[in-house]
Amino acid sequence: MKKIPVEKIESGMILGRNVCGPSGSTLLIKGVCLTTALGRRLKNWGITSIYIEGEEDTPLEVYTSSISANKLKEHLTQKFSRVIHNVVMKKIFSAVYQHRLQKSK
Amino acid sequence: MEINKNIQQSLLNISSLPTLPTVIESITRLLQNPKTSAEEIGKAITTDQALTAKVLKLVNSAFYGFPGRISTITHAIVILGFSTVKNIVLTASIFEAFKSSDNAVCGFDLEQFWTHSIACGAASHALARIMGNKEKEECFIGGLIHDIGKLILYKYYPEEFSSVLTYANTEDILFYEGEKKFLDITHEEIGSYIAQRWKLPSKLQSSVKNHHNPLPVYDNYINTGIVHCADIFVRALDYGNGGDKKIPLLSENVWTDLELENRSLVSIFDTIQDEVEKATEFIYLI
Ligand SMILES: [Fe+2]
Ligand SMILES: [Fe+2]
Repeated sequence: MKKIPVEKIESGMILGRNVCGPSGSTLLIKGVCLTTALGRRLKNWGITSIYIEGEEDTPLEVYTSSISANKLKEHLTQKFSRVIHNVVMKKIFSAVYQHRLQKSK
Repeated sequence: MEINKNIQQSLLNISSLPTLPTVIESITRLLQNPKTSAEEIGKAITTDQALTAKVLKLVNSAFYGFPGRISTITHAIVILGFSTVKNIVLTASIFEAFKSSDNAVCGFDLEQFWTHSIACGAASHALARIMGNKEKEECFIGGLIHDIGKLILYKYYPEEFSSVLTYANTEDILFYEGEKKFLDITHEEIGSYIAQRWKLPSKLQSSVKNHHNPLPVYDNYINTGIVHCADIFVRALDYGNGGDKKIPLLSENVWTDLELENRSLVSIFDTIQDEVEKATEFIYLI
């Protein structure tokens, strides 16, 4: 079993473990044959890495799925750049930031 | 750059605009009669094979709570009820209507677009549930089709679409703002025109038309406000992409009228995420 980031998915790879969404529901069942299109799809739904069948085992920490707090903040700051002066948007910003940080843990 | 400014006029002359399967009309008619049975509705739906397959996929998704356990349309009606099944048929019909939107515009990913739309539907559904709004299913469809006008632009006016897309992304502004610069019409207006041609309920037409700026005077204001918030929330959560990378300003009156001030936004996002995940399978219907 090997853990790889979704960007590295190639057609023909076999999924080694079920893919669960951040709240626990199953999105893909192990044994399924992957495609690059599926990789893109997983990324759209917020999945960052998966396990594929293969000889070498990669330690869990190698590709940590959590996006770093700083990167997330930077990304959201860019997205919100034109509305962040607004009080309500500020609240939304910090709630989204908090929610996504918790989820990536 | 040669831009067609007269979309408003030329739209009326397109004879090949996507249509909904005729089954929709027969079901609506059948449902007006309180004596109609589940079998009769089931029969009407199954006359359309492609649609039936999509409906069965939908009813068996995690979103409706009975994954993999419903084998016939009649069974679905018994378990989920007439009105839910009617909305599921409408959802399937919308996917069916747009199944062959295959022209390519550089920098636009249809799958990302549908992900944004499905997520917005699921988030609208979640918000309605949180707020005790009984029209959850209507809110789902409102979210699902809110940007349908963009798809019409994409399909029938690829050059104009591409200019708006490129402009929005290089200037780092909203797609909507790009439309206002280049076109004589917005995706809200195009979308509501389609919804009207499809004879969707006027409430839904209104929510498509006003999702960027819902005002209390408009028909279906509260549900439109829900779609408005859902659109902003799923952008912030990065589910898919509807054509730009920015966050629009949340309408002040919607914030007040949906009483969002007194709610925990973080737990709202948790609920939304949950619901969006259950709807992920819908993408296989496009
Ligand atoms: Fe929109
Ligand atoms: Fe949108």
